[in-house]
Amino acid sequence: MSAPVRTARDPRAWEMKDLMLTVVLGVVFGFVYWALVQAWNGLAIAMGPAGDLAQHVLLGGWLLVAPVVVAIVRRPGAGVVAEILASVVEVVFLGSPVGPTLILAAALQGLGSELPFWITRYRRFGWTVFAVSGLLGAGLVFWFSAFRGGWYGQEVFALRLGMQLVSGVVLGGLLAKVIVDALARTGVLDNFAIGRAEIGHTQAERNE
Amino acid sequence: MTAVVGPDAGASTLGTSTLGAPPLGAPTHRAPALDRRNPTVKLALVFVVSLVVMFVLDPVTPTVLYVLALAGVATTTRTSPRALAHAHIPFAAFALGVLSVNALSRPGHEVWHAGPLSVTAEGLAVGGALAMRTLLIGVLAVGFVRSTDPVALMHSLRQNARLGPRVAYAVLAGYRVLQDLPREWATIQHAHAVRAPRTRDGDPPRSPRHLGRVIFTLLVVTVRRGERTAQSLESRGLGLAPRTTWHPVRVARADWALVAGVLMVLGLVLAATAGLGVLRGPGALAG
Repeated sequence: MSAPVRTARDPRAWEMKDLMLTVVLGVVFGFVYWALVQAWNGLAIAMGPAGDLAQHVLLGGWLLVAPVVVAIVRRPGAGVVAEILASVVEVVFLGSPVGPTLILAAALQGLGSELPFWITRYRRFGWTVFAVSGLLGAGLVFWFSAFRGGWYGQEVFALRLGMQLVSGVVLGGLLAKVIVDALARTGVLDNFAIGRAEIGHTQAERNE
Repeated sequence: MTAVVGPDAGASTLGTSTLGAPPLGAPTHRAPALDRRNPTVKLALVFVVSLVVMFVLDPVTPTVLYVLALAGVATTTRTSPRALAHAHIPFAAFALGVLSVNALSRPGHEVWHAGPLSVTAEGLAVGGALAMRTLLIGVLAVGFVRSTDPVALMHSLRQNARLGPRVAYAVLAGYRVLQDLPREWATIQHAHAVRAPRTRDGDPPRSPRHLGRVIFTLLVVTVRRGERTAQSLESRGLGLAPRTTWHPVRVARADWALVAGVLMVLGLVLAATAGLGVLRGPGALAG
């Protein structure tokens, strides 16, 4: 048998299966979100002005894909790439009317969500790290959203910040850990970094 | 071969029409004007205009731009007035919410009040600006999606914007996954409904718990499919260099004309409203 053709590639370059996982997770989260938004639109119209505020409750859900992918793939940049790809799916394939500035917002979300994992060098995946990830993911993009949405100078500014941070911690942080743990239990992640680190991972969690 | 999203008469929303049958091939010369332009150029233009209007906070400028954009989208894409109006529903509702929240929650000169609610002139101005901006960006996004085949966009991004082929084809494979999701969803839903206990009325279960199970199954199935797709892409040689290209996508002279036209209109409108003294920047937020 002849040797397989190999081109010189950066050893830090992503494996195709990690890239593909990031894309399909972005697709699934984008799809579920799109379905939820359809349901949500009716509710928001019925609620009038309160609908604009009430949507902050769901904000954390937009952050989910970054911590999930980081915890599975465990590579620097995974969270940012995951958020950007998910936003591309929303803008290009699902036709989000927010337009391409959504991609910028997504990059900021990914950066915030990934920061705590980067600080802990992609070695700690306990509840605290996920919670901080949700907090920073929501906290960082808030200032951009506030500028884009013209929230500065409104009387409900602090309420908006508070709602988004809480939603970020619960839906964008803790829920991500629930999903990652449940996925890992099914065995579909065995071939990814999380599966290889499984033994060390549970060990580290016990020591936490 | 037909162009873009296809005949979408009666498509309920923007999203469902893009989720429909996959469009085949590049737009032909019979396609509407905007459909024939380079996808990367269109995406970049929508991005630039969205970024610039983020810094505009008076109601007049985005209204003028919205009217121009609406006329442009209506005349250069194959979108009926009815479909265009229909596509407005989600972001028009959002714009209305933004307008009312700002009108009610900004301090300033009171123009109307009833009980605890008070509407201020400043709130109306900022709210109007944000609402019109939402409509403007929304109609640009509609024009982009209606005139652009997502597959052609990914090929164009790879060739014109130096997007890596591995990323481009991973996203394209993801697009196929997305198109299959509604069917996959129905299959899983049916499989669960067969075994799950019925509601009191004899209907299949609709509880959040049941919904969560279906979503989780969808997630597991898709992760598996992603891994298989990655293997088949690599086994077919994706990522090897050098690559050859079938049907190269180019940025034509007409694309540069589009860029020049859009930027000129944007500049002229901004200059005109600035000259008339109605243009306002983010300072308007401070009241």
